[in-house]
Order: sequence, then C-alpha cells, then structure tokens
Amino acid sequence: MNQFLLLLDKFIRVLFWGMISYFTYLIFLITIQYFPIDFDTAFLRIKQDEIILKHYQIAFFTHVYTSIFVLILGLFQISNWFRKKFTKWHKLMGKFYIGLILLAASPSGLLIGYYANGGWISKIGFMLLALFWFYFTFQAYLFTRKRDFVRHRKFMYRSFALTLSAITLRLLKVGVVEIWGLPPMDITRIIAWAGWLVNLILVEILFFIEKSKLKKLKSLV
Amino acid sequence: MMRFLGLIVISFLILGCQGEIKNENSTVVEENGTDVTPSDSITEEETAPIIDDKNESDPKYDHMLGFYVGDFEPDLGDERYDKNFYLDDGYMWNRNNKINISLNIINDSIVKGHSVVAGNNRPFVGTFKKTAENTYTVEAKEPGDDKYDGTFTFEVKKGKIDGEWTAFKKIDIRKRKYSLSKKPYKYDPSIQLKYAQSFANWNKVKSEKVIVIDESDGEIVQWFEKEYATTTDIIYEMNASERFLTKKDIENLKRADLQIIRNTIYARHGYSYKNRIYRIFFDAQDWYIPVHTDIKKELTDIEKKNIQLLLRYEKNADEYYDYFGRG
Repeated sequence: MNQFLLLLDKFIRVLFWGMISYFTYLIFLITIQYFPIDFDTAFLRIKQDEIILKHYQIAFFTHVYTSIFVLILGLFQISNWFRKKFTKWHKLMGKFYIGLILLAASPSGLLIGYYANGGWISKIGFMLLALFWFYFTFQAYLFTRKRDFVRHRKFMYRSFALTLSAITLRLLKVGVVEIWGLPPMDITRIIAWAGWLVNLILVEILFFIEKSKLKKLKSLV
Repeated sequence: MMRFLGLIVISFLILGCQGEIKNENSTVVEENGTDVTPSDSITEEETAPIIDDKNESDPKYDHMLGFYVGDFEPDLGDERYDKNFYLDDGYMWNRNNKINISLNIINDSIVKGHSVVAGNNRPFVGTFKKTAENTYTVEAKEPGDDKYDGTFTFEVKKGKIDGEWTAFKKIDIRKRKYSLSKKPYKYDPSIQLKYAQSFANWNKVKSEKVIVIDESDGEIVQWFEKEYATTTDIIYEMNASERFLTKKDIENLKRADLQIIRNTIYARHGYSYKNRIYRIFFDAQDWYIPVHTDIKKELTDIEKKNIQLLLRYEKNADEYYDYFGRG
C-alpha cells in the first residue's frame, strides 16, 4: 500500500513537471510572436485603440518580454531538488524573479489590466491579479530578509500560483471554448478571474493538507 | 547527459511550430473582387466588365432590356439526386445557383448580353427571333474560352425568361434549366438579411467528413459528426453598410457572425460569390441579385472601414479562438 502511494506520488510529480514544462514552452512560443516588435500582430491586432498609446506600448512589451523569464525562473525556484543542490543559484535567481515581478511584470500587468478587453469585470479581475502578484512576491521577499523561510515558501508558492495563471487562464480558455463555445469577450471575463483564483485556491488547499498532516504528526509525538 | 538534454531542448525550440498556440491554417475567405487593401495596386486581372453600347439597341425593345433573375438548376433527369449535397440537420444543396441574365442590346436580329452566376461574369451573343405575339426566342453563345461557357436557348415573354443552357465542355453538370423574372437592381445600404436559410459553414467542421451511402436507395449522404460554425440572430440586426461599426459592436461576436455581417455588405452590391458557402446562403435572400464579380469600386467609405475592422476580428477569431494562444 505504501509502495503504491509512493509510486502515485512519483507519477503525479512527473506529470506535473512534464505538463508545466510543455506549457511553459507554449508560452515561449506565444512570446516570440511579439519579437521583433510589431504593433499589428497576434493579440495586438484587436488592441488597435490601445496600442497607439505610448504607455500601453511600453507596458505591453515590458510585460511580454519579462514575464516569460519570471515563469522560467519560477520553475527552478519551486523545485526542492534545485534549491537544495544549487542554493547559491536559488538565491541569485530568486533576486531576479522578485525584481522582475516587482519592478516590471506586475506594474505593467496592472496597466494592461486597466485596458483589458471585456469591460470592467475583466479589468478588475486582471488588475487584482497584478496587485496580488505584487503583494505575495513582496511578502515573500520580506520574509526571506527576516530569514523566516516557512512563510517565505508560503508566499512564494502563492506568487508562483499567480505566475502560472499565464498558463492556466489559456488552458481554461480552451476548455470553455470546447465545452460551451461562448463568445470571445464572455470568455475573457471568465478567465480574468478564474484563471488565477483557481490556482490560488489549489495552493491554499495544499497548505491546509500540509497543516493537517503536521497536526497529525504532532499528536503522534 | 546535460549536453544531450540541451540539444533536445534547442531542437525543440527550433522545430517547434506556432501550430500549437494558433491555427496556422487559418483562412478567411476574401475574394479578389471584394478586396479593400488600400495600398494594393491591381492584384489580379479581373475579367473586363461588360460594357455594351446601349445605342446599338433598338429602342422598341427597351422594355425587354435588363436583369432576369432566378435559379440556374441542374437538368440531369434521373442523375439528379446523385449530385445533391446533404448535411445532417436538414441542410441540403441541390446545386442550384442564382443566375442573372442581363439583356443589354436587342435589335432586329442580334441580342447581346451577359450572365452572372457563381462568381462568373460571361458575355453572350446570339440570334433573336419573334415566334409569337410578345414572345421571342434567343439562341446565344458564350465566347468559349472559359471552362464553364456554353449555349443559352431561351424564350423571352412578358418579363420572363425560360430556357436551357448546355455547356461546351464536359463538366460535372452539363445541362441546366431556368425560369427567370425581370428584376431591377439598385444598391440599397439599408437592406437587411431576412430569415431564409440557416448558415452553416460546411468547411468549418471540427470532425472529418464521412461519406455514407444509404443502402436502401443508393443515396450518397455526407455526414458531419459535429457542429459547424453557425450564426446567431445578430446577423439580422447589425448593418455594416449604413454606419461605422465600432470595436464595441463586434468584439463579442463569433466567427460565423462576423463573416456573414461582412459578406452582407458585398451582397448588397450584388456581388456574385465564387465561394460556395456564401453563395448558397445569399442566394436564398429574395432581394439578392448577382450583378458584379468585382465590386472594389462600388464599396462606400463606411463599408471599406467596416470590412477592415470585421476582417481584423475574423482573422483573430480564426487563428486564436479555439487555441491556447490568446489573440
């Protein structure tokens, strides 16, 4: 029985890393659509009213060009194996992860969110995503400065959950299209919220399970 | 080991195609005769518009000149049903096309005109004979340098044309018949679609086309397992010829709606579609008359702007709507 659980655990881990790497690769493909800079390509084709604004141009390309690195860095940062084996690298890359989010990806995301398609419902959804992303990352940074690594880990998990919304909101989009075939802006409104809330809830569930496991262990001792 | 992994990753990145995040085979049907690309010089040589000198015509036949419109039906006898196209859910196309036979010049022995059907605008010249009171017989030939040229034989009688057409070459449907009524054409931007035939884009089917032969009567049926792109009621409400559309108007529309709203602009100008799907759909509209195969110069500024906007969203929907990438 125990062996079975171990095997299942291993399977889930391999699946998780396999999927996350594949979808990161897809996000990379999405990113290179915007290279070199072109104001009339992909998503920007339906953002013609906004892309003429200088601040939107800066925000959009800042977001696109930095977020891909945040995502890739994050993949290494959450790996236990990597952290234990390459602690120095974990520290260095963590500085980049935090710096890119706080100084570039999140503020630019906030601005893009303000101009989001789909009306105020999606605007609020995307802007909250940017704000929470900033808050979690900043908290994680503060706790690592205080050497409180338990809380650092918790906030980094939350931060990375929101980083992963780049992937999950697109997966959700495909799912909603397949199942209900809703009109495009209705889909945007759904993913502006569900695309990151689902991840956050999953992380909180994970923490809850960990906590109850710990309680059990303590009671045994 | 790491070098090997690195090689794999790099080849992945290079070989990787955008097909996983967007529809790379995206095709938005935009026929040459409707092109609105601003900087575009002449893209392709269109068949020269037919300008017949009306002065050649004898004024006493003036009342007979004009457009005669109706169905151009296959005349196949028993073969007929084999040539039909069927879809489940009751969509069926019996290979009828709407034809417009235009009589441009009539004098005592000669008739000149042209016909517009299925994106083809072809002139004809023929003989003209009075056979009874108010009844005239015409036998006219198309030039013969087009695959679909042939001979028209018809009777003109009190604003009606009845007759047959036979192709010169061996094409799928060699004989057609028609019974047409005289109809005036005038561009009217306020014309709206009427409930006539549901739109189903036969090419936009998610599953494969399966051809099934019904054992009982040998009927060939094409089944489509899944849904096709269908429209909503917005196509009866939105008019892209009368006012400038905004982003707000169209951003929440799905692909099929955008397509039909854009193509209704062309239909108002009497554009004759090469594309079968649009042809079947607009042929069912009683106001629709195929008049031109090139309407580039007819489009108004409002329409040109709207076409560009609609195309933008159509292309985006076609490439990204059901893909991982967000357009």
